[in-house]
Amino acid sequence: MSTEPQPPGTAGPQVGVDEWVARQAHRREYLPSWLGGAQRLLERIGWWPRLAIAGLAGALLPVLGLGGFQLQVGIDSLVLVLLALGLNVVVGWTGLLDLGYIAFFGFGAYGFALLSSNQLGSHGIHLPAYLSLPIVMAGTAIVGLLVGLPSRRLIGDYLAIVTLFFGEAFVEFTNNVAPSKLGGPNGIVGIDTINAFGHQITTNEGYFYLLLVIVVLTMAVLRRLEGSRTGRGWRAVREDPLAAASMTIPVDRVKLMAFASGAMIAGLAGSIFAAQQISVFPPDFDTPYLILVYAGLVLGGAGSIAGSVTGMLVVMVIYDGVLRSPTDAGYIFYGLILLTLVAKLRPWRRLGIVLAATAVLGFAAHAIAGALSASAVAGGPQSTGWIADALRDWVIVPANPQTPGNYGFVLLVCLLIALVQLTDRWRTILLVPTIYLASFVWETRLIAEPSVTRQLMIGAILIVMMNARPQGLLGARRVEALT
Amino acid sequence: MGFFFQELVNGITTGALYSLVALGFSMVYGVLKLLNFAHGDLYMVGAFIGYFVIQWFGGPSALTIPVPLLLVIMFVLAAVVVGGLGVAIERFAYRPLRNAPRIAPLITAIGVSFFLENAALLLFGAQFRIYNTPDFISFSSGIQIGSVSIDAVQIMVLVLGIALMIGLRQLVSRTKLGKQMRAVAADREAAEMMGINVDWTIAATFFLGSALAGVAGVMAGLLFNQVTNTIGFIAGLKAFTAAVVGGIGSIPGAMLGGLLIGVAESFITGYISSTYTNLLVFALLIVVMLVRPTGLLGQPQLQKV
Amino acid sequence: MSAGPERQGDSGNPAVAAGPGAAGPPGAPVLNLDHLSLWFGGLRALSELDLQVDDREIVSVIGPNGAGKSTIFNVITGVYQPTSGDVRFAGQSIAGLRPHVITRRGIARTFQSLRLFLNMSVIENVMAATYGGTKATPAESILRLPRARREEREVRALAEDVLSFFGQRLAGYRWDQPAYSLSYANRRRLEIARALATRPRLLLLDEPAAGMNPAETHEITELIGRLRADRNVAIMVIEHDMHVIAGCSDRVIALDHGVKIAEGGFDDVAGHPAVIEAYMGHDPEALAEGG
Repeated sequence: MSTEPQPPGTAGPQVGVDEWVARQAHRREYLPSWLGGAQRLLERIGWWPRLAIAGLAGALLPVLGLGGFQLQVGIDSLVLVLLALGLNVVVGWTGLLDLGYIAFFGFGAYGFALLSSNQLGSHGIHLPAYLSLPIVMAGTAIVGLLVGLPSRRLIGDYLAIVTLFFGEAFVEFTNNVAPSKLGGPNGIVGIDTINAFGHQITTNEGYFYLLLVIVVLTMAVLRRLEGSRTGRGWRAVREDPLAAASMTIPVDRVKLMAFASGAMIAGLAGSIFAAQQISVFPPDFDTPYLILVYAGLVLGGAGSIAGSVTGMLVVMVIYDGVLRSPTDAGYIFYGLILLTLVAKLRPWRRLGIVLAATAVLGFAAHAIAGALSASAVAGGPQSTGWIADALRDWVIVPANPQTPGNYGFVLLVCLLIALVQLTDRWRTILLVPTIYLASFVWETRLIAEPSVTRQLMIGAILIVMMNARPQGLLGARRVEALT
Repeated sequence: MGFFFQELVNGITTGALYSLVALGFSMVYGVLKLLNFAHGDLYMVGAFIGYFVIQWFGGPSALTIPVPLLLVIMFVLAAVVVGGLGVAIERFAYRPLRNAPRIAPLITAIGVSFFLENAALLLFGAQFRIYNTPDFISFSSGIQIGSVSIDAVQIMVLVLGIALMIGLRQLVSRTKLGKQMRAVAADREAAEMMGINVDWTIAATFFLGSALAGVAGVMAGLLFNQVTNTIGFIAGLKAFTAAVVGGIGSIPGAMLGGLLIGVAESFITGYISSTYTNLLVFALLIVVMLVRPTGLLGQPQLQKV
Repeated sequence: MSAGPERQGDSGNPAVAAGPGAAGPPGAPVLNLDHLSLWFGGLRALSELDLQVDDREIVSVIGPNGAGKSTIFNVITGVYQPTSGDVRFAGQSIAGLRPHVITRRGIARTFQSLRLFLNMSVIENVMAATYGGTKATPAESILRLPRARREEREVRALAEDVLSFFGQRLAGYRWDQPAYSLSYANRRRLEIARALATRPRLLLLDEPAAGMNPAETHEITELIGRLRADRNVAIMVIEHDMHVIAGCSDRVIALDHGVKIAEGGFDDVAGHPAVIEAYMGHDPEALAEGG
């Protein structure tokens, strides 16, 4: 990719050599095959029109039939999207690994709760939203500054630990300290709903639209910041703090600003969350939620606004879809497997062979097991719907699925590890029993415990993404200098 | 006064436990510069292994083999299995990210930790598993110094813990493997160029560190009696605290840190209240990190410009 | 530090003028190191160093590896604090100031091992360096208030101007490419461009020709001369390649083990016995005779 150094004065860049090579490198940044084509098409549209389209699409969702329980999921998703956007500023842009980020969310929620309920004082403070929201956001920003203070002297891993502990300390604090004021494990209930421009927002639809507007606005604000002096400062600090300092950037101040901005967004998210839930409890702000936000950010691509949003939405679809019904969960599980196979297995012939072999293996195994012992196949697939019907004679589900399922799970993890180590032909061969075993484990154990399964998926997302595509779906591949 | 010493003894015992976990954690950090968030969960797996060994041999009140043999099997099995699990995790999750920026293995470690916790939840369920130690190790057997009683389990934990720590210290400073570990910790590339098999050394380090965590897990089961899939998280946090307070990457530091945390915890629970224990331990860590980020016995890392 | 047109440099471009602080009369000292010492524990890195650089002067620093050359740069730019002695820039002491403050005062540097913002685009690398010279707050940027928009235009113009100094090497189509896509020589040029964007009065170049072939080295030597002429900067150069030193220096300073061992024109210093000894070592026969 380098030009032959030419004596000064002769012809400059050679079109077809430099530019073409540069363009090719740029092309490789995109997702493989048709997805990349779609990405390029979208890029031609321009960022702001895309935002408008996404916002409109979101606004149409309740109209098109998203109702009841699904609307609640939509609200939860938007809250988490807001958190992912804020976390992106801290982790994605400035490179500060804040593992206590969820505590800002909690602080905002509790702050709003205290200002909008009967908790404090004899009748409680019931500040109107247009007062309490700015106060809470400012307060959370200040807390963000405080938490960011150690970042001046601590780098990387150490900062991660301190922030992690701050996050844990927050949960312990709200659980144990001043129970009369903070509610202890019982939390705070009876929080006012938000009053926006005279309307009291009490319905889920209302909160959905409120959140949608806030998310769109936040994305716009962040986009403006991204291309501004502030955004460049943040990104320069992530790249190389020492070089940034040598280039007039006040690194400490920039880091603090990142913490404060991220915290402020989290505080806003927390306030709306508290108002919508009408209550807050300490476990709402514990580590599993932090990991959920990180999973969204990592999947979508840290460092990219669109990535944060997309990744978080995809994670929420998986997280919630698994819980919703066995049929939906089955779609997600088998869908993910098929998607991975289609994306990774080339040529198409190989994919066909693997699928065919897996089918054959399954039917054969089922028949043999059934012939050997009736109870071995007595249990049906524990999922429901047409997938279950199709798999009835394919997957082996014993009468007592739990113990075999457990052993199968352990064996499956071992097989997956082995798969990663193998290459080429052996990998393809081992893929067949692995897929069958995965289906077995799914039908016997995983589908029966959806709340655990979805957590497992989140953990798996983090591991797989970091190993396979660390820049996430929409992020830009990063190059790091060797230190 | 007796109360003070009793709490001190309790604190030192739990401290020995934390030290073992912190040691493994510190060792891994030394060679890989990675904060292995999954380390605490390895401890949890060890605790479960100990539980299942007890069940396998008849259960706490109807053991089919003598107690000393049971203990040996528990410890050895936990060490080997958890050690192997650690090696597998390293191979699968961390090795591909050896040269990636630090953020990548850190996030992967979080993923591994989350995955392990939930895998345990899936396999073993949410209910607490009880060791019922008093059923097979009588607490009345122990020693009594004045008004301070140290029961048999505590003695065993202390003795075994100290023996392991001394053994590890010797291994690191006297043996060839120890030298390799120190070399890789100092400069991985240079070590590789000097002919050290870095992959193997790192795997061995993971094995040892994880084995220690597994053993500590069994000890925890014996001491605290209850095992569930979330004990790894809090224990992991305390092990971090211990390792970082003592100076991460430093083995005597991990020992010192573990002791301090154990004793601090004991006194806080005894003299103040158990509700604030975790909170104050966390606060202690934050303070130490701010005042002396490299820990009590750690060395500051220099950067060449 | 505004980008207004009130200061005119030789280049005639109002947006890029001489650095902050009024330029003194030609030849006035811009940098003074007084009895500068730096100890790392028991290791003496710099010892009683006296050094002066005048306005628009090009001073080269040579010496074997480990002589303390980069250390001088690190002390000047505030990465290390001197153990004793003083560093004065345009008459004012800057010892103890933080790096970003020192750079804003008018001293910029490049790094021996490149330290670009690799994942940012070429032009963003240069624009980032204008941070200290701009004042727009985040709120202003979000709302696109007049000051923010004006500064953004000026910053962009400054960056384009600085990059165009390197001609076709960092030409227009490269501006939006990530810095990691640049060739090694171009990365070195970008590093210099980025330092220029801080509008320095003194530019510290740490081995600008490292790893370059003779043609590129020649280009760099010419570039250094052009920098002084067009941008009105004093330049300190650390180099090993004697062609560069000979081709652009007004004055050469030789260092060994943190001590200045020679100073003067290139020929004087290159032929100085102490300098030869530092590079080539003792003559064993002379040593055996007790010399």
